[in-house]
Amino acid sequence: MSDINIGKAPPAKAVIPFYAIGALFFVVLCVLLFLSASDLTGHYFSPHILAVVHSAVLGWGTMIIFGAGYQLMPVICERDLYSPTLAVISFYTLTTGAGLLVTSFWFFWVGWPMITGGALVVTAALLYAVNVYHTSGQCNRHAANFIISSAAWLLFTVVLGLLLAINLRFPFIPMSHIDVLKLHAHAGLVGWFLQLITGVSAKLVPMFLLGKSEKDKLLKYAFYCQNGGLVLFLGDAYFNGLSNRGLFYELIIGVGTIAWVLYLADVYRNRVRKKTDWQMKHTGLSFICLLSAFLVLPLLYGSNDKRWALVLGTLLFMGWITGIILGKTFKTLPFIVWNNKFRLLNGKVKVPMPKHLYKEKLVQYQFWCFLFALLLLVAGISFACVLLIRVALMAWIITALLYVYNVGVVLFYKIETNGGRNK
Amino acid sequence: MEDVINNVDNKQKLKALAVLYNVMDPELFVNIMDLGLVYDLIFTPQSILVTMTLSTSHCPMGEAIVEGVKNVLAEQFTDHVIEVELVWEPKWSFDMISAEGRRQLGIV
Repeated sequence: MSDINIGKAPPAKAVIPFYAIGALFFVVLCVLLFLSASDLTGHYFSPHILAVVHSAVLGWGTMIIFGAGYQLMPVICERDLYSPTLAVISFYTLTTGAGLLVTSFWFFWVGWPMITGGALVVTAALLYAVNVYHTSGQCNRHAANFIISSAAWLLFTVVLGLLLAINLRFPFIPMSHIDVLKLHAHAGLVGWFLQLITGVSAKLVPMFLLGKSEKDKLLKYAFYCQNGGLVLFLGDAYFNGLSNRGLFYELIIGVGTIAWVLYLADVYRNRVRKKTDWQMKHTGLSFICLLSAFLVLPLLYGSNDKRWALVLGTLLFMGWITGIILGKTFKTLPFIVWNNKFRLLNGKVKVPMPKHLYKEKLVQYQFWCFLFALLLLVAGISFACVLLIRVALMAWIITALLYVYNVGVVLFYKIETNGGRNK
Repeated sequence: MEDVINNVDNKQKLKALAVLYNVMDPELFVNIMDLGLVYDLIFTPQSILVTMTLSTSHCPMGEAIVEGVKNVLAEQFTDHVIEVELVWEPKWSFDMISAEGRRQLGIV
């Protein structure tokens, strides 16, 4: 009887490897950033910055999101994951593809290594989209709509990226390479990351805060504004070229973002769990970074100073996306590992609870180190001060080490049971 | 005679309910009784049927909670068949959490 309605969590191999490799990529990202400190005062189209950005968006952001997505889609749509096998294949293709792309950009190996890396990433995105589409089924919830649209935008983004990689070696795109790069970046940030995070948070934040909101319409407005603004931006830029009209489309996207934040604020107001833990504080800080990024946009459009592009990128990649992942990892991974290791032992022997699987104190240290590193890095780039940037990047490496250590603590957790050692 | 059996069963039922206080919701870190997840328990000389719900119908921790219920009851009542029936009506809500559960969750 208990098997009728109860969902089966996806197998560990379809989820946990994403978290493990994502954590390692975060360390790689921070080390590459440290080695590229002097590049952070120049133009963003440089081999090292391209390598850093792709390790951030693919190896770190997308890697963790794939893992979390495979775990959460069944929860959101109340169906089992369509294909754990496709999920596992997408892990291998994404890991290899991201690794190859980052290496190719760092050494600027224009040609087949870069194209192969791009093709592998496209394969991973396609497999992810197929899994998301079939898992969602007839699910028509707001959260699911965002997750499906974000998967489609991811596919669009990585295909455009692959075309750009081909264009570097075999030029064929009639538009300026840098202009297409901007479209690629916009589709990735607004289509993939913003919509995915909107969808997932619309489900998870009420769950974690034990809160609710009746203002579902806000999510509907968010969906139309985020998608509408992005389509208008891309269409106008493609047919008429990039112009200051872009700021108007960014404003539409901004309205969609504010609608989503208002929904979450309503959930926060109507929560029954009043205590806010360190993980949720990470999330709160990440929202501040996202809203700050919108404030930087007029500076980007109003001047030719390339540093604002780097400040914007820092707020989005290192502030917003990283902030969310740093917090949410310890809201999801311990439960995934616990479910895998202790589910069947629950009630049989004394087992630790998921919150005992990681070191809470380290999450607190991680928060302060992350805040310090972020503020210093934004200041360093804004004032073009390499010394400040280097100090900030050392703090970033410490943040990454705290994070990866704590992830390791969760992944390799062991307890003593009556019968011996439990793995 | 029937009264005596009923009394014995009632005592056993109370014992079974008390045992369920040991099953924790791993996510909320509060036992399932104080969370109000258990709706009914039918105790017969041969079997125990627990009718319960989950906080969400595809709760990722659902399987662990159901296993926990079966495990604690099987340990105490070795000669009974343990069954768990999951129901979604009435739908679980925060109002079903006991005063002790609210205290543990830090709900004001």
